[in-house]
Amino acid sequence: MAKKVGILTTNFFSPDGTRMIYGGAERYGLELTRLLLEMGYEVSWWQIGSGWKKEILPGVVINTIPETRSEFMTFPNFNQHFYEQAMDVDNAIYFVTFLAYPQVLEKSISISHGVFWDYPGFDHQLPTEAERKEWLRRLHIALSGPQKVVSVDTNTINWINATWPGLSHKLEYIPNFVDIDSFSHRIDHPGKVRIIFPRRLTAVRGVNEAARAANVLTKKYSGKVEFHFVGRGHSDQLEGEALKWASENGGIFYYWQPPHMMPEIFRHMDIALIPTKGTEGTSLSCLEAMAAGCAVITTPVGGLTDLIIDGFNGLLIKPTPNNLIDAIEYLINDEKERNRLSQNAKLTAEAFSVDRWKQKWKKVISEVFD
Amino acid sequence: MIEESNNTIVAMMPVRNESMRYLKRVLEHLSQWVDKIVVLDDCSEDDTVKLARSFEKAVVYENERPLFAEDESALRSRLWNLTIRENPGWIAAIDADEIMEDRIIDEVRFLIDQDYYDAIYFRVFDFWASQTHYRKDGGWDPWTKFCPFMVRYKPGINYFWPRREIHGGRFPSPCEGFAPYYSDIRLKHYGWANEKEHYSKFLFYRQKDLKLFGNIRPHTQSIMISPKSTDLEEWKESRRLYFLKEGIN
Repeated sequence: MAKKVGILTTNFFSPDGTRMIYGGAERYGLELTRLLLEMGYEVSWWQIGSGWKKEILPGVVINTIPETRSEFMTFPNFNQHFYEQAMDVDNAIYFVTFLAYPQVLEKSISISHGVFWDYPGFDHQLPTEAERKEWLRRLHIALSGPQKVVSVDTNTINWINATWPGLSHKLEYIPNFVDIDSFSHRIDHPGKVRIIFPRRLTAVRGVNEAARAANVLTKKYSGKVEFHFVGRGHSDQLEGEALKWASENGGIFYYWQPPHMMPEIFRHMDIALIPTKGTEGTSLSCLEAMAAGCAVITTPVGGLTDLIIDGFNGLLIKPTPNNLIDAIEYLINDEKERNRLSQNAKLTAEAFSVDRWKQKWKKVISEVFD
Repeated sequence: MIEESNNTIVAMMPVRNESMRYLKRVLEHLSQWVDKIVVLDDCSEDDTVKLARSFEKAVVYENERPLFAEDESALRSRLWNLTIRENPGWIAAIDADEIMEDRIIDEVRFLIDQDYYDAIYFRVFDFWASQTHYRKDGGWDPWTKFCPFMVRYKPGINYFWPRREIHGGRFPSPCEGFAPYYSDIRLKHYGWANEKEHYSKFLFYRQKDLKLFGNIRPHTQSIMISPKSTDLEEWKESRRLYFLKEGIN
């Protein structure tokens, strides 16, 4: 009989079940589910929700637990409900590290998708010294429980090692992946430079800086430059506003696409903007842009420096509107430089193939679950 | 068997007295992105059947007695059974007053040729007393809700229908559990675009509400309450992703 793996996450769908979130973490989740199915496991997911159930892949159900209370950036009640309800589960994956507080199944792995406490908003969420100490205490417990903690970047590993050296034996570096084979040759479109912002439309991902750049540069290079904002917003209202904004500017597009469609979109793009400001791992979008041969403009945040070496396979900037505008303009006007960065990025992406990712994950799963 | 390429898509559509409304535009549009259109005429008294038959992709059937007014799910169920005779890869449920944004023409192939999800949900925009503005107050708000309009047809499933007189859904019950994708391509609904039709539709839904719920529901009441000008928004068609055609010989 197939062994069962339960995966605990906060929100694959919105808590009311009406919106599926297609961010990088959710795509990671789908790929990890497929790998577990390939390895012969039965997989089920749990998330916060009002009691609904949905199938996220054929035969893979996501269950919901109506427990929304969070304390010090942890969800102890949610964790406990999962612990009690998942009695027929043999192995657990805590899809986000803090969900492993306070208790984990005996055979369990947790995943860090990157440092999330580097964004200014985090500071006022835990404004006192006492609160911060309590959060750290809980984080330490969450990291101590699972047998392995998979980290998508070296930034997190370095932080944990510097903070709690005793946890280093648990840490496994498995950077995010890209399916190289799904990226075919680029499509030429002489006389036009297409720039893509392939992220969810949130402030932390730098959408406001990118929008400012789009407004300025589509006017300055009218007819030559197109901006494509490709990703869902964090609210229905924002998506409506973004569509309206795009419809009023001929050089700006707003839409979103299913993940399998992104390689087709990227092959028509020249420059990718990843102007993220915090809470970043090794961005799937950045890797896809690299695999597609886009010249990437990004920031030295989270795990992005595991992917991009400034001036070799992309540009690293501090994410301000002016820095972004300057960097984009530099690449609009220097096709040779754009192509050099693009070729190096494509080559770099091969080190992050989905096959390598699967091999590394298989090894960790076999060590912990078998 | 889930196919990742060369899927066919068949539209299914119930019709009744549509020849002077939007049917011609709807069938012209559908002809650009589906392989066949199964039309079930619910005893029209005008040229609806003749108009539908003039479209090359249309396969037209006629009911012997009208079904919609007494039992919408019976009508939908019969239409479904006629549609699956065409052995579709995917089925689109489009009514005679609904048109997808033009984006669908370039993107439908990418949406259905995959094995990640089996149902595609869309947002519906109700054009109100015009073909230029949609209504967005209360239950008319188009931004907050997605509905399924396309599903993969899986021959091995035992399909059955909910017994509901109205709003029973366009697909059999098992489709509700299909893995979803929420598309940003929007559906334009012209059912409320002609103000002269509002009162007769209000009476129809009022009668159904009284029979089924014992009272008139707020959404039905809102049909006869004119929206404020701020509750109407001008429609702006999304730009087609014209570049997807580049590189295709």
